[in-house]
Amino acid sequence: MKEENSRRLFFKKAAAAVGVVAAAGYTTNLISRSSASTNNASAKYAADLAAQEKAMMGNQLVLMTDDEKKQRIDKLLNCHYQAIA
Amino acid sequence: MSQEKIEEFKEVDDKQQGRREFLKNVCASSVAALVAAPASANPAVDTSNPDADVTVAEFFQGHFILMSDEEKKQAIARLEKRYTAQYKKKTTVSDVEAPDGVLFGYALDIGKCIGCRRCVHACVKENNQSRHDPEVQWIQVMKMPKGNISFTADQLDKGYPERSEFGDYGVQVGGNAYKTAGFSTEDAQNYYTDNVVPEKDFFYMPVQCQQCEKPPCVKACPVRATFRDHAGVVLIDYNWCIGCRMCQLACPYQARHFNWGEPNLPAEEMNPQTHYFGNRPRMRGVMEKCTFCVQRTREGRDPACLEACPVGARKFGNLLDPESDVRKVLATKRVFRFKEEFGTYPKFFYYIG
Repeated sequence: MKEENSRRLFFKKAAAAVGVVAAAGYTTNLISRSSASTNNASAKYAADLAAQEKAMMGNQLVLMTDDEKKQRIDKLLNCHYQAIA
Repeated sequence: MSQEKIEEFKEVDDKQQGRREFLKNVCASSVAALVAAPASANPAVDTSNPDADVTVAEFFQGHFILMSDEEKKQAIARLEKRYTAQYKKKTTVSDVEAPDGVLFGYALDIGKCIGCRRCVHACVKENNQSRHDPEVQWIQVMKMPKGNISFTADQLDKGYPERSEFGDYGVQVGGNAYKTAGFSTEDAQNYYTDNVVPEKDFFYMPVQCQQCEKPPCVKACPVRATFRDHAGVVLIDYNWCIGCRMCQLACPYQARHFNWGEPNLPAEEMNPQTHYFGNRPRMRGVMEKCTFCVQRTREGRDPACLEACPVGARKFGNLLDPESDVRKVLATKRVFRFKEEFGTYPKFFYYIG
């Protein structure tokens, strides 16, 4: 009886220990995953900003002639009226 | 028929009845569940948890443009209720439509801009952008050395447009035609931290969504969550956006910003006057960008960036009206084309007064 008791106790303790270890592991995993995802998001925001900076570099803004300006306005108005129609 | 047979038939019939009843019950409970789910998400139903509305009703919500008036009302009521509870202040979500007979355009005088970034901060404040980690800014101000400007004013009027065999493209001959008449964004700094602006020998150029007349972002969107309204402003239905970022890739001006994380908008800094397609708080996983302050401009007001500019470098108006500020700028000032090669016909113009 005592022997059975001690065996049962041993299994109980073993199961409890496994449970505690598993819970700790799971919690650690959760925490590290959430902090990793935060870092990941920051890195992605930074990558977007870098892409934006790159897209803006080395561009030429060229002066439009009067004809170009007129053509631009005509084109915009045509597009608009076509879309409305 | 023997008694035995009759008993056997009865038994089979009972079994079939039982199975039929069971199937009936299953069907009935499925139907009941389907009916109950949207009903539980109806804004009329009082629930203590404001997020409860979102889970089902917002998930099944269609594109706002395609909704019936009743559905629109419900969607707006749902959002107002959720934002009011979330930010603890009475929040309104407008769905005022764009006015007829209007094509919005914007012009910015780079000769006047002093790079103070007041427009940036006014935009952040007005449009409920994420305040930290990171602060999302729809306007980027570039600081460039004055040496980048490569034309001489005295040559400006000496050129003339020449017709070519392909048609009249207004190609200039003479004057500044044989060198770049304009300026380059070479060596520009996007994130300058000067305490005093404008810095000597530098000029500044704010960049935001150019509200293209032929927007590549709209073409790229696989679900048409982004679209151009009839006043020419490119907008996004945040609830319909699937966060694929195709529009961001398509935009030559990189003017779109993706919410990689949940935006951080403190309740005390939240602007409660919102528009469905404009400055209502966004969620994680959706795209956002400048809307020419749709919540203001659709009601006849100026965008927040224009109001905040201390030097009057920004002009906003109706391109269909020849007497508007923007049309007058186009008619009388030195205007630049920016990334013309993409053929997107931006309605945002840079000029020197």
